[in-house]
Amino acid sequence: MAKLQAKSEVSGSVWKIETAIGQKVAEGDTIMLIESMKMEIPVVVESAGTVTQILVAEGDAVVEGQTVAILDT
Amino acid sequence: MPSHNILGTSEPHQDELELRRSSALRMGGETKLAKRREKGILDARQRIDRLLDPDSFQEVGLLSTSVMPQDRAQTPADGKIAGYGRIENREVAVVSNDFTVKGASSSATNGKKIGHIKRVATERGIPIVFLGESSGARMPDTMGARGMGTMLGSDPTQYLRMRETPWAAAVLGDCYGSSTWYTCCSDFAVMRKGAVLAVSSPGLVEQALSETVDPQTLGGWQLHAETTGLVDRVVDTDEEALAAIRTFLSYMPSHQAEAPPRAEPTDPGASAAQIAKLIPPRRTQVYDVRKIIAALVDQDSQFEMKPQFGKVAVTTLARLDGQVVGIIANNPLFKGGALDTDACEKITSFIVLCDSFNIPLILLVDTPGFSIGPEAERRRAPGKIMNFMNALSLCTVPKLSVILRKSYGQAYLNMGGGRNSDEVAAWPGAEISFMDPHFAVRIVHGHQSDSPEFAEALSEMERDNSVYGIAEIFGVQAVIRPEETRDHLIRLLGVHQLRRTNGVGEHLMRAWPTSY
Repeated sequence: MAKLQAKSEVSGSVWKIETAIGQKVAEGDTIMLIESMKMEIPVVVESAGTVTQILVAEGDAVVEGQTVAILDT
Repeated sequence: MPSHNILGTSEPHQDELELRRSSALRMGGETKLAKRREKGILDARQRIDRLLDPDSFQEVGLLSTSVMPQDRAQTPADGKIAGYGRIENREVAVVSNDFTVKGASSSATNGKKIGHIKRVATERGIPIVFLGESSGARMPDTMGARGMGTMLGSDPTQYLRMRETPWAAAVLGDCYGSSTWYTCCSDFAVMRKGAVLAVSSPGLVEQALSETVDPQTLGGWQLHAETTGLVDRVVDTDEEALAAIRTFLSYMPSHQAEAPPRAEPTDPGASAAQIAKLIPPRRTQVYDVRKIIAALVDQDSQFEMKPQFGKVAVTTLARLDGQVVGIIANNPLFKGGALDTDACEKITSFIVLCDSFNIPLILLVDTPGFSIGPEAERRRAPGKIMNFMNALSLCTVPKLSVILRKSYGQAYLNMGGGRNSDEVAAWPGAEISFMDPHFAVRIVHGHQSDSPEFAEALSEMERDNSVYGIAEIFGVQAVIRPEETRDHLIRLLGVHQLRRTNGVGEHLMRAWPTSY
């Protein structure tokens, strides 16, 4: 089992968290929406796995490249 | 009286020619060739064979060898095989590095050979294909002042690029030195996974910097596809790389003084009626613009350049009704479509390519603006934005733009707004403004979003956001429905073709950089 870091591709703020710890997700699933430039930017999972950590809360500021969740794949 | 030949035996004159030819064709010998076969890697002559139309290869310099007397017998074709051939019945020139011969290292003789190919191809209007796999300058021949003076620098045009004809390069093994240089100078670069593209080898890096580095970290496919953007496409095999080169060249004219070849027109793979459904209901939501492109262009005609680099923009060659076009599109799927510096560089490079080879540009616009903030500034965003703008302004090929949804700020200009393209159309849902109205209220009036004055100020800022505001003042030439877009573009391509010059532009960027 590997650890996958899900990252924000933009600087902005966490708008909606659409997953929970323990949830099984498939490749391509959206686990979070970041607001940036008035757009809803999805954080998309690169491979199937289980969410083990959510590192941010709704309303938090994030920077480009910041890890926002950890998954076991 | 027969004299001794290169093999030290006495053979009659005619047989010496046969001996020399067959000896040269054996390349670096069966042992080395067998090793490559076991790994599923083609040799230099097999690559030429697979690249070109059957039986079309006309070699130059088969009997060339090293100028060093002691190396003459070990350097068939002096390690680089060159000549002319045809691809889809059009002449091309090819240089194929033979790694089994002294690592295909660069030397005086093979330098002359490449120079010859370049001169002929440039003068006669023939594309050049470089099949890269080389270890750099030949050692120890190039060492010392005399070595350097003998081997390097004799040709002042060796790395000069004026885009007289298209160049395509494949990275098919370890590439250091000339294979790397020609890859970076080319219009199209395809890399096989496992190959390496770098200035110098890990061995030299370790000595010079006391740093141990894995070859794939130093110059592997992932680095070049995603981070440097020096490679346009990545493939799994030599054969796929050669096929990619053939495909790329099918979009290109043979030289800059002719229009690209036309293909048989075909309908798009997806129905035009589907296009409108591809835009999501909320203006803040994202979608993949590549699906829209697929519904606009001739079926299977997309050939995307640098798909893993600067993903906020899509730069793809394609065909509309059989005619080659270069499509630049913002992709909201990445960063909401906010253009970052990688996307600017990719677009600039693509504009230079299309303009240099008479390919009209189509710009599909949906961007909330340029990506801003400290990271963007560190990456020299203002300079990248201006390079992009300069390139667009210098185009002499037709430029047609369609505003699909958002077009904000300076990005409105960069994506062909106003008179920065020849014809601008907009979809009915297009939003055009300087900045998002919510930001504008705060900047102009200082109101916070929860204040009572905000709503009124906001509706003032949202005034004239509708596309009809710009249509009424002839700021766009047409408002069209999504399903009308393909026919609209085809019709205007017909109007805007460069009929006064037989489809040929002025190529004001032919001497622009070959990488960004």
